[in-house]
Amino acid sequence: MSTTADSLLRARPSGMRPFLVASVLAHLVIGGGLFALSAFFGRPSIDLEQKPIIASLVRLGKPRDEKLLPRKEEEPPPPPAKAEAEPVKLPPQDTAVKIPTKDVKPEKTASKEGPKDNKKSLFDALNRASRGAAAEIEGAADGDPEGDSAKQEGERYFGLLRAVVRRNYDVSDTIPESERRTLKAEVALWIGTAGEVLNVKLTKASGNEMFDSAVLGAVKKASPFAPPPDTLKDTLRKQGVAIVFRAAE
Amino acid sequence: MSRLLLVLLVLPCAASAQQNVIEISGANFRPMPIGVAVPSTQDDGARRALAEFDSALMYDLSACGLFQVLDRKSYLAPVTEGFTVAAISFSKWNDVGAESLVKTQLSSGDDALKGELRLFGVASGREDFRVSEAVPVKDPRKLAHKLANALYKQLTRETGPFETRLAYSRKSPGGRDIYISDWDGRNAQRVTSSDVNVIPALIPGDGVGFTSYRQRKPWLFSAKPGSEPTLLVNRGSMVTGASWTSDGKRLAVSVSDGETADIWVGNGDGTNLARITDTKFFLNTSPSWSPDGKRIAFVSNRGGNPQIYSMNADGSSPRRLTFQGNYNTTPAWSPRGDLVAFTARDERNAFDLFTVNVDTGKVVRLTQDASNNEEPTFSPNGRLILFTSTRSGSRHLHVMTFDGNNQVPLPNERSDYATPDWGP
Repeated sequence: MSTTADSLLRARPSGMRPFLVASVLAHLVIGGGLFALSAFFGRPSIDLEQKPIIASLVRLGKPRDEKLLPRKEEEPPPPPAKAEAEPVKLPPQDTAVKIPTKDVKPEKTASKEGPKDNKKSLFDALNRASRGAAAEIEGAADGDPEGDSAKQEGERYFGLLRAVVRRNYDVSDTIPESERRTLKAEVALWIGTAGEVLNVKLTKASGNEMFDSAVLGAVKKASPFAPPPDTLKDTLRKQGVAIVFRAAE
Repeated sequence: MSRLLLVLLVLPCAASAQQNVIEISGANFRPMPIGVAVPSTQDDGARRALAEFDSALMYDLSACGLFQVLDRKSYLAPVTEGFTVAAISFSKWNDVGAESLVKTQLSSGDDALKGELRLFGVASGREDFRVSEAVPVKDPRKLAHKLANALYKQLTRETGPFETRLAYSRKSPGGRDIYISDWDGRNAQRVTSSDVNVIPALIPGDGVGFTSYRQRKPWLFSAKPGSEPTLLVNRGSMVTGASWTSDGKRLAVSVSDGETADIWVGNGDGTNLARITDTKFFLNTSPSWSPDGKRIAFVSNRGGNPQIYSMNADGSSPRRLTFQGNYNTTPAWSPRGDLVAFTARDERNAFDLFTVNVDTGKVVRLTQDASNNEEPTFSPNGRLILFTSTRSGSRHLHVMTFDGNNQVPLPNERSDYATPDWGP
């Protein structure tokens, strides 16, 4: 036997080949099958007949002055080519403002335009304020005549009121547990335009003086409240709001 | 017809004018902040009792969990402020956060110490309650407890804990002795005077039962302060964990024999005992009656490790109450019936107190990170739990509300206290 034939590096026929071929084929079949199944069943079902939900949270009206809209971030204009070609030796910082360059607009121009614009916008604002409110309603041409903001604002305010009173709703442990399940009292509260309490009174007593005193105390401790939104000012001042207190959860 | 039209016109207007309503439920129940003025007196006889009366009243009101007694250093009203509505500056009490104000006045005469307590509503500025009591002149603490109880009853319509009794064992030169004391651990009277006496249980009506080695074997005895103990139960090798029903007519004990311990139930005087558990080679100990006397909570290791179980008074329908932890012992059934307090060893090998709701199985942890806390016992009204704790070094008695709040030590002297029991 030659040295080459004895070498361990020499390739020898192996009995594994048919198994390898079978394995590759099996993987291809399984992979293909899975792909086909996922294409069949995994497709997201979209109901094309479904009607879109259209919500308009924007009040119907004249589009808002662009100056009053939030600013959009804009990329700064590219510097002129000359400045790039001629690198300027920067002076020390304290003298920087004294050296005029072509890139920088003269300060005078800016100072002339600034006050003029401010004045103009101020007068514009005053003029707008002096005109009727109806003419000045801002919104969008496709907005809703009612808009949702007033209702949302009201709900948010009542939520706030509830939270702040709830935080102060401390009742003495001395009230027997058997009574706690049924204790219920009602308080009427009138709030001024600045959020101050105009009046508060117990409209339905619970039958337990300590509990009644605690619910009145909760309202008093929670005051003054945040100023009500414009839409609620009149209601809270004239009609007030009723707060129903229950001792149990 | 015109009336109908009017109604039809008015109704929509009324509907549109409907008031906004906010609903708030689930009050924050918390101790009532109260000011307790320094007691006043006009005569010298009562003046001597003033300090003792005051300290007992202050402890009663601050430890019972119903009140948050405001620090006297913060009071704005002068000590000399009067005792009537007209003389009280309620705004000053309001400024320090008091919702109610307690004022007391003492007087003496005919060998009696008289006390009057008045409760004022600070917001309303009016007197809500007034009570007077009299006791022998040498017992000002008793007067404080009586007045505090009257106040407690007025506010909660429940009997207060201030005139109840405690029993506990305490280390003595000869071993351990049994003591009976007031609820604050004061006025302690020693019941036994030799050998090792442990695990006391107050007998409703009078006296205390306890396990004693006075006849060499640990058997059950009963005694009253100043009288010799009498043997009640001498079965098996050891009789422990006596527990009486609230009417004192039935007794449950654990009787050990060999490797087994079983619960036995009989008459209050120890007669007619019958075994109600039968689990060979397992231990059934520490029985505690439910307030209606129909069920018994106890400890058993029948499931592999000590857990709390309950069963009918005849041993039927056993039910496992605890499933967490592997070492739950010393059950105490609340006089309100809903909770069983117990000691559990947690994962850090610390002993702490828990309650389990008998109906829902809900477990609530009462103590944590305060050394070892063990051996709970409920106050007769179920609002408080007395227990032993090593948080301040030696094993001392502490009290807290049933939900684990307001944990305070008893004001009695420091010693090695064990296995307290609380009774009426």
